[in-house]
Amino acid sequence: MKYLTSLLLTSATACCGLALMGGSAAAAPTCEDGPIQLGSVSTITGPVDFSDGPSGAKAVFDQLNAAGGINGCTIEYTMADDKGDPQVAAQAARDLIDNRNVVALGGGASLLECAVNAGTYKRNDVLSVQGVGVDPMCFNAPTIAPVNVGPYTLTTAMLDYASNELKNEKLCAFFIILGGTQEAYAQAVKRWEAMSGKTIHLVDMTLPLQGDLTPYLIKARDSGCDAVLTNQVEPGVVQMINTADAQKIEGIDWIFLASGYTEGVAKALPDTRQPVYLGTEWEPYTEVNAANGDWMAVMEKAGLAKTAFSQGGYLAAKVLVDTISSIDGPVTRETIKAKLTEGKPMKYSIAGSDYVFGDAAKHAPMQATKVMQLSGGKWVPRTTDWYVLPPVE
Amino acid sequence: MKHASLHAALKTASALAIIAGLAVLALPNYWVFLITAVFIVGVALQSLGLVTGRTGMISLCQMSFAGVGAWVTGYLNVAEFPGGLVVWVLVGGLAAVPVGVVIGLPALRLRGINLAIVTLGFAAAFDTVLATITFPGQTSFTQVARPAPFESDKGYFLFIMLVYGLIAVALEFVNRSRLGASWLAVRHSERAAAAHGVSIAHAKLSAFAISAFIAGISGGLLAGYLGTLVAENFNMMQSLVLFAVATMVGAHFTLGAIAGGLMITLFPELLRRVGLPQDVGNVFFAVGAVQALSSGETMSETWGRLGSKLLPRRAGKTSAKPPPPLAAPSVHAQGLALEVNGLTVRYGNVIALDKVSLAVPARTVVGLIGPNGAGKSTTVDAIAGFLPRYEGSIKLAGRPLEGLSATARAKAGIRRTWQTTRIAPELTVGEYMRLAAAGIKPGEIEAVLEWFDCPSPETVIATVDAGTRRLIDVAGVVAARPPVLLLDEPAAGQSYAEALKLGERIAAVPEKFGSAVLLIEHDMDLVRRACSAITVFDFGRLIAQGTPQAALGSAIVQKAYMGIEPEERVA
Amino acid sequence: MNSLLASAVAGLSAGGAYAILGVCAVFTYRLVAVVNFTGAAIGAAGTFVMVTLYESGYPLAIGVPAGIAAGALVATWIGIVMTTWFAGASASTKAAVTAALLVGIIAVGLRLTGGQHPHSFPELVTGSAFRFAGVEVTRASLLTLAIAVVFTLVTEQFLARTRTGLQLRALSLRPMAAELIGIRVRLLALCVWAVVGAVTSFALMVIAPLRSPDFMSLSLLVVPALAAALIGAFTSFRAALIGGLMIGIIEGVASGLDTFSQYRGAIPFLVILAVLLWSQRGARWDEAR
Repeated sequence: MKYLTSLLLTSATACCGLALMGGSAAAAPTCEDGPIQLGSVSTITGPVDFSDGPSGAKAVFDQLNAAGGINGCTIEYTMADDKGDPQVAAQAARDLIDNRNVVALGGGASLLECAVNAGTYKRNDVLSVQGVGVDPMCFNAPTIAPVNVGPYTLTTAMLDYASNELKNEKLCAFFIILGGTQEAYAQAVKRWEAMSGKTIHLVDMTLPLQGDLTPYLIKARDSGCDAVLTNQVEPGVVQMINTADAQKIEGIDWIFLASGYTEGVAKALPDTRQPVYLGTEWEPYTEVNAANGDWMAVMEKAGLAKTAFSQGGYLAAKVLVDTISSIDGPVTRETIKAKLTEGKPMKYSIAGSDYVFGDAAKHAPMQATKVMQLSGGKWVPRTTDWYVLPPVE
Repeated sequence: MKHASLHAALKTASALAIIAGLAVLALPNYWVFLITAVFIVGVALQSLGLVTGRTGMISLCQMSFAGVGAWVTGYLNVAEFPGGLVVWVLVGGLAAVPVGVVIGLPALRLRGINLAIVTLGFAAAFDTVLATITFPGQTSFTQVARPAPFESDKGYFLFIMLVYGLIAVALEFVNRSRLGASWLAVRHSERAAAAHGVSIAHAKLSAFAISAFIAGISGGLLAGYLGTLVAENFNMMQSLVLFAVATMVGAHFTLGAIAGGLMITLFPELLRRVGLPQDVGNVFFAVGAVQALSSGETMSETWGRLGSKLLPRRAGKTSAKPPPPLAAPSVHAQGLALEVNGLTVRYGNVIALDKVSLAVPARTVVGLIGPNGAGKSTTVDAIAGFLPRYEGSIKLAGRPLEGLSATARAKAGIRRTWQTTRIAPELTVGEYMRLAAAGIKPGEIEAVLEWFDCPSPETVIATVDAGTRRLIDVAGVVAARPPVLLLDEPAAGQSYAEALKLGERIAAVPEKFGSAVLLIEHDMDLVRRACSAITVFDFGRLIAQGTPQAALGSAIVQKAYMGIEPEERVA
Repeated sequence: MNSLLASAVAGLSAGGAYAILGVCAVFTYRLVAVVNFTGAAIGAAGTFVMVTLYESGYPLAIGVPAGIAAGALVATWIGIVMTTWFAGASASTKAAVTAALLVGIIAVGLRLTGGQHPHSFPELVTGSAFRFAGVEVTRASLLTLAIAVVFTLVTEQFLARTRTGLQLRALSLRPMAAELIGIRVRLLALCVWAVVGAVTSFALMVIAPLRSPDFMSLSLLVVPALAAALIGAFTSFRAALIGGLMIGIIEGVASGLDTFSQYRGAIPFLVILAVLLWSQRGARWDEAR
């Protein structure tokens, strides 16, 4: 294990070593019925475009196939779109399971797919290694274990970071509540309160998705918040900081989640003086370093943009490839499920925690983040170390 | 007419049974799963068809009603409420009813577009509320339990078909009832509907209530279908897309609702297979809806038209047996049926009627004539309750009508026709007769139609020419046998021969039906033939009154009305 | 109390946006008799053309006029659809058409602008004008307010005083009759559409940096805008102006309330409903609209 870890950290092209993960070197997966079928349901058209996630996964599989596959087995990967529409998401999942006969799902990134399809996966005994889990069900179902930290764990982590590292006293949290995420965010705040023994100064769950933020920022200022955490997505981050600048608000640390971590956001806010922080899902994608090395190589080879979402797709694909590689015998839903539920920790350089599927009723294996700060139109890492949450008791 | 409903219902039910059987036998699981969604969406579309297609009120919040039903179903599931999904779905539907009524309330005042904006606002507001409430059971991973015999995909499909069939059949009956006809009438003209004694409030609220109920059921069915739901299932865009599709296909037709369900469900599938992006679907729906609106014909209607061209038209039932004779005339109070005293109506500074009085004795025909702009139609509007205010008194059989709404006056016994026909063209003649004369017997409908030489009850109004529609207009109000009938230029648009014949019929109305008639007409021959007394107006004032001979002969009438100077006559 | 005032003032900038869009909705209804659900989407299209040009390096002096022109073009296109196929249609049908078009335009717009990917929105006007009740009132929100007020006054005067204004009023009341007396109905109607497109585009460009600037959010601004127009009963520009401001202020105040927090989003709707029911209590029969 130690050997592998150091290999991962030092070698930028650790992909070959990964094939050994989780099983004996003698493992030989077989595929008598043609290529191994994998797939994912993602939001590609509609309100958001998360296609970078599944595209990243596809790049991994394509390059693996080009190199001869796993023990001669190639992988056929189907990317389905759910349009942000639950009905379409349900259809897409059924299409993958019933018609494509996928043995597992992985690398998907969707606004609502977990909530809609977790039950379907359970009924059909298919497991999903979600690339980017967004809705709370991704972290609350026996059949899904995302490779990302997710907004809820990240909320806890960033609150903890703000209070411990940024030394903020009056922490405030404003959430946009979409699609029944209220409970999950409330839980996340509660977890931090239980963990730290402190109480949150103000929680507002009514931030509008569209609409003017001025009243909310005034409220934050007048309540004396010295840190404001929100779950704004990309355009909302820009809107919020612009509004704070317009209102000449000072002395508040603005803390966002990974959904704000894009170069677009940084570019759109070149000269703000507001202190802006956020937590990442994985190794910061804007950093060129050894930990990101293999991911970057894959993306460059595939000609894809290097985005955080593609890290999720890449990582999920890696998990699946390694799981399949460790199977001795035919690759089926059962054998994949058996391997994943064994719960062996899998270590990857771009993630701060070991990935574990296991047989728990819910999964949130990733508990570590790196904190970035906005500076001169760029995201700059504040620390080189992972900020890791203590395990949930 | 009951057998017509029965016939249509049977046809719908058997068609659905055949589809269900074929689907279960022939299709693989995945397709059964897809088709199930078709019919769940179909239920939602039917609910929208009822309120928008039939009653003409644009509702852009239909999925919000469905959301209420779905969430209630979810709560009952988590609470393990006895009765299983069937009961939960019903309760969910019922829970949506008060919401529908509350949204329907503004429809009483805000109509058409205003209502569309309010419903869109409601959908937006409901979004923000629903988004904060996690679907019950989602966090504890409790799926909405399907009823035991319908557990599997195919089983649930049959369950949905059953529910869809029940709703479709029930709607066939409702649509052919007086309530259904009143919806169409309200859509076509609220005034005309009120003149038939239809309560506009009742018609609109019932449409919203039933529509919300059905939408709520569709939400509950969706909960059982997917096991768990998210707020996006019911957001504003879903409602808008549903509206676009309903407009395109004509969701108030059974065929249209299914076609719409097919589109919403299978379009994503089709796009997935051809490799096109999913958002193309919405663009297609938008274009389709605009196309349907521009041609004024929904897809169902187009198919219906093409279909009827292809299929040989069934020969109209020429019933050999003659219609039963007219029932005995109704007995109303003797004396003055209608009495108008000192009626004054002002539009701003213009005095449309200046202290006019007239009287219509029971079981007589009184003519009201005068040049254009004399105030004849204003008088009718005032008597029937369509003016916001007037001075003077109007009494029906001695009972003052002030303070009563148009609907209440119609129910009290004042019926009117309009200068231009206002019958909803989608109705059949028989449905219209039942709308106009509540509780009329089928035999009586045929007898009255026969007496007026109108087409058979099965004829659709849209296929009838304008002149005949005027006849049906009159036949409808006459069949109601009210104490007082106000006929506003019934002969306009009729040929001379038809007008004479109509005159004879009107003259016989008091004797055959027991009603008194106030007849407004320009056709002097018809007036002479039908009326026992005449009142003449000019510039809002009463200028003559008396027997036809005396009134028409008076010099002032000759001058005002015929443009003949007294001297000319002398000369 | 002071915090209430602060939230009310904070709602002013949203109010200005609703007001200008509401006034444009009244303008469209009064002059071409269409209740336009695509109003904000047209403006969003123009705004995104401007942003695209800006992002590809063109200066604002080119981007802004091009965006305004694009908005006018999209509006004219909708105008062509309306005048070609729906000239004689009922108000309800026309509204249904624009509602259906909205579905399509949002789909196309989201596709072309890449969903919620942030675009760097240049601020056309920067900085704040003054501070009131502890809230910075930005120049941008004052500018939107000013556009709304000026547009209202100019339109009122234009309709009341000029010959073209008279023709326009005739056009919306009796299009057929207007055609008969020799008014070039179609041309005039398309001009109205173009003006609406240009004004909303410019207004949204000013507003966009302070809002969540994705295509769908901007398009759905039409909901409060139409509510504002409805408060003006689709006839009074001033009432729509004030209505739009009121909705913004109510939203602002509501965000400061801590009771019934999760139903806060519904408060503006309830207020609008109450206002409408009261203001339309006299309306009785369906010829009204």
